Amino acid sequence: MSGSVAAPRPATSFEEARPAATTVVVSGATAPTEAAPVVLDVRNLTTYFYTYDGVVRALEGVSFKLRRGETLGLVGETGCGKSVTMFSITRLVPDPPGRVVSGKVLYRGADLLWGLDLEARFVPAKKGNRVKVKRSFRRVKAAQARVGSVRGGGIALIFQEPTQAMNPIFSVSDQVSEVILEHKGVELVDGVLAATPDGPAVQPAIEKLARAVEAGDDAQVRGAAKELGDAVNLPTFGTQAYYLARQARSSGSATVARDLRKATSRLRLTGTQRRFLRSERELMMIAREQRAVFVSEMRHGQLERAHHAALAGRRFRARVRGFPYRIPIVRRRASRPIREEAAWKSVHALEGVQIADPVQVSRGFPHELSGGMLQRVMIAMALACEPEILMADEPTTALDVTIQAQILELMKEMRHRIGTGILLVTHDLAVVAEVADRVAVMYAGQIVEIANVRDLYGHPLHPYTQGLLASIPRLDQPSKTLTTIPGSVPNLIFPPSGCRFHPRCPYAMPICKESRPPNTLEGEGHQVACFLYHGPPTME
Amino acid sequence: MPDDAIGLPEVGAGGSHIGPVLLSARNLRKFFPIRGGLLSSHIGDVRAVDGVSFSIHEGETVGLVGESGCGKTTVGRLLLRLIEPTSGHTFYHAPPEVIDRVERAYGEIGPYASKEDGESNKWSPSAQAALKELDEIADQYSIYRKNHRAMKSLRGKLQIVFQDPFSSLEPRMMVREVIAEPLEIQKVGTHNERMARVQELLGEVGLSPEHAYRFPHEFSGGQRQRICIARALALRPEFIVLDEPTSALDVSVQAQVLNILETLQREHQLSYLFISHHLSVIRAVSDRVVVMYLGRVVEHTVTDELFSRPLHPYTQALLSAIPIPDPFLHRERIILSGDVPSPAYPPSGCHFHTRCPAVMPVCSRVDPPLAEVRPGHWVACHLYPPPSTSPASGGAEAPTSEGMALSTSVEGEPLSATPSTPLTTSTSTP
Repeated sequence: MSGSVAAPRPATSFEEARPAATTVVVSGATAPTEAAPVVLDVRNLTTYFYTYDGVVRALEGVSFKLRRGETLGLVGETGCGKSVTMFSITRLVPDPPGRVVSGKVLYRGADLLWGLDLEARFVPAKKGNRVKVKRSFRRVKAAQARVGSVRGGGIALIFQEPTQAMNPIFSVSDQVSEVILEHKGVELVDGVLAATPDGPAVQPAIEKLARAVEAGDDAQVRGAAKELGDAVNLPTFGTQAYYLARQARSSGSATVARDLRKATSRLRLTGTQRRFLRSERELMMIAREQRAVFVSEMRHGQLERAHHAALAGRRFRARVRGFPYRIPIVRRRASRPIREEAAWKSVHALEGVQIADPVQVSRGFPHELSGGMLQRVMIAMALACEPEILMADEPTTALDVTIQAQILELMKEMRHRIGTGILLVTHDLAVVAEVADRVAVMYAGQIVEIANVRDLYGHPLHPYTQGLLASIPRLDQPSKTLTTIPGSVPNLIFPPSGCRFHPRCPYAMPICKESRPPNTLEGEGHQVACFLYHGPPTME
Repeated sequence: MPDDAIGLPEVGAGGSHIGPVLLSARNLRKFFPIRGGLLSSHIGDVRAVDGVSFSIHEGETVGLVGESGCGKTTVGRLLLRLIEPTSGHTFYHAPPEVIDRVERAYGEIGPYASKEDGESNKWSPSAQAALKELDEIADQYSIYRKNHRAMKSLRGKLQIVFQDPFSSLEPRMMVREVIAEPLEIQKVGTHNERMARVQELLGEVGLSPEHAYRFPHEFSGGQRQRICIARALALRPEFIVLDEPTSALDVSVQAQVLNILETLQREHQLSYLFISHHLSVIRAVSDRVVVMYLGRVVEHTVTDELFSRPLHPYTQALLSAIPIPDPFLHRERIILSGDVPSPAYPPSGCHFHTRCPAVMPVCSRVDPPLAEVRPGHWVACHLYPPPSTSPASGGAEAPTSEGMALSTSVEGEPLSATPSTPLTTSTSTP
């Protein structure tokens, strides 16, 4: 990325006094790699809400693709269906009143809207716009189980209000641990079982760490702690040792080596603990295999009853074998290693989102943290299981600009590190310009334009996009009077005929009232739905 | 303290429409007590506003910017006397010579002296005299010394529009009742005259006459905010506090509301205090900007100056943190670490030193005063010694950095590229 091109200016004494600072070059988005595989393919998504006032046509034929490692911004005004799109993809639309009516959501070839047509029947009511929906709850439940196998692990979600997305009665550590145990449980148990607290390299590593603490160099302590983690063959123990050492240093305690030996001894498993871990691992394996079966069912559109029966048998046997560990007091003692490991993993996850004091924060409860901090915890939870797709619904709207800058930077970095595809739902066009590779503009339940970020902001084609961009007050282009779009967002129970934007459009033509404009391609990957343009229709 | 030269027409951005001083706040402080422990004793204070001074001229828009919890809203409420200050005054329609006397008096006694201090004998006679003079001026001009009746008539001149148009309108009242309520309270006109005024107001804010007979829930956010503006205008005020009036609205609607406010200001010679955390909006509407951090003013100057030459490190970080809707721009961004500290336990010295990228040893000890480092540009920062004290070494003092990973900019120049430079000049093509 080229740096900023600063025009030469006469330096004044004030500028000389400008200090060096932690700066990050904010580049526009990187060009999306066309070769990257499509991880999410949404086709013709249509979602209605059946209310007493009539059918709210919240989404009408929404289609887009999300590639691996790409950030797609979904922008639009309040009530245009941005969040409904996100909820429809993960089947989290509150039902009743909402229902995904038709469409396809392909996540790596698996249709997340599997069994949609069997779930409910629509009976037209006698009065005009009304419809009666008859649901089959058995099928709804089956479908939810299948989509649920993708949520969290494959598709992670971040919600707008971090304070409401967290459970107030569990500590941060408990909540992050839960996610890790659910999705990375098998690896976690394997790690605990493979730990070698009595390995030959352990004692020398402890001595080395103790010496590093005395020397007082933080980088050295971190390095030695990591070595200790490697020596016990459990990386999170390195994290634990580092914080133990740091605590010992700050309190001036001379017993670092003793504390560390004590911590190491906690890694030695009793026979009961070992047996419990094996039984737990078996159950986690079964759950994981079941998820794989669910995904395969959604991919092939067929139930795999034989697999389910086999898994049910194995689950029953595993539960019988694991019966002693269902007794609370036994379970509490036996599950200690796994709980501790998960807690340290969550500290590690919080470190990853640049929380300054992760141990302290992880012990805290949601009400003790600020909004920015909680949002970072949410991101840590979402990224702990390295999802392929991250859907963020207005992740920075509730935050201050300086905190927003931190969070956006973090999301960008995560995308490069893990290769997650991000669907960023927001109304803030400026945030999208900075973070997204491609942008989809929504208006009244339809996508009106999709383009690369540079094309969209450089040459907006749809009149709505043009109006939206002109109405933002710009920091870099001061002007006293702002351009506005006349009128307001339409009522979606009685949406305007034809193009839904025609009542507010300055270029409205007679045809706009009559039919919905098709999606046409204007240049490389620039898709627009407007009669003003006559490019070739998109392949859908 | 920022004197009133700042907002005068020759310095002011808009120029011609700005009149004499309307309100001037001096050393406003508002502490909210924290109670706890045994018998709910007073165990500390949330220092929401800690020594804020600025003036608002007739026909002028002053922008008040800062992050959440920095005391912006509290300042707005103090200016309207919706809450009583812990100390300090807001002078209403005070002539310039009176403000000069106030400045001299505060110079003599320090900003936060109270009446009780003056009565004790440890004070010099000149300080006691200054305190007495201040007291007399306050009795005449300060809005906090007005009695109930005077305050009631003053309320008609000082109005407010709140942030959330959904909770600031009574759901059981029709729009005409909502807008006519201030007129009824102040007993203005007959019923028919009031209804005529309601219709006139609805026209002014771009609503149609039949809207008067609807209830608030029938309107969208933008329309409700227009109703709130109409209600604020009902008594023909001189000054309106706009407390984040557009942050609950969409951008296209926000533009409509901002344009209405602009038109109304021109027609009625209104003064606005525009409180917002959204710097792009502030730039679009205001003539002068006051930047607050943790209850204090850190920078105060005319809008163009602030955006082209921000001096305080906090303002620079704030400006660079704002996303710009233009993917073609490349700029350097200063990312502040950490959160805003709690105003109940503010950091020592300069409140910003815990997050400042340019922190020096002196910052944690000495609280920098708000000083005029350029004509009409007031900054509270140790990086900019006031020209009068050390004119030669202005800025020669090399800032040291502590505990921060520092990097120089791409070109290797010592970051003279303030965030404003890339904003205005660099549009590098892909």
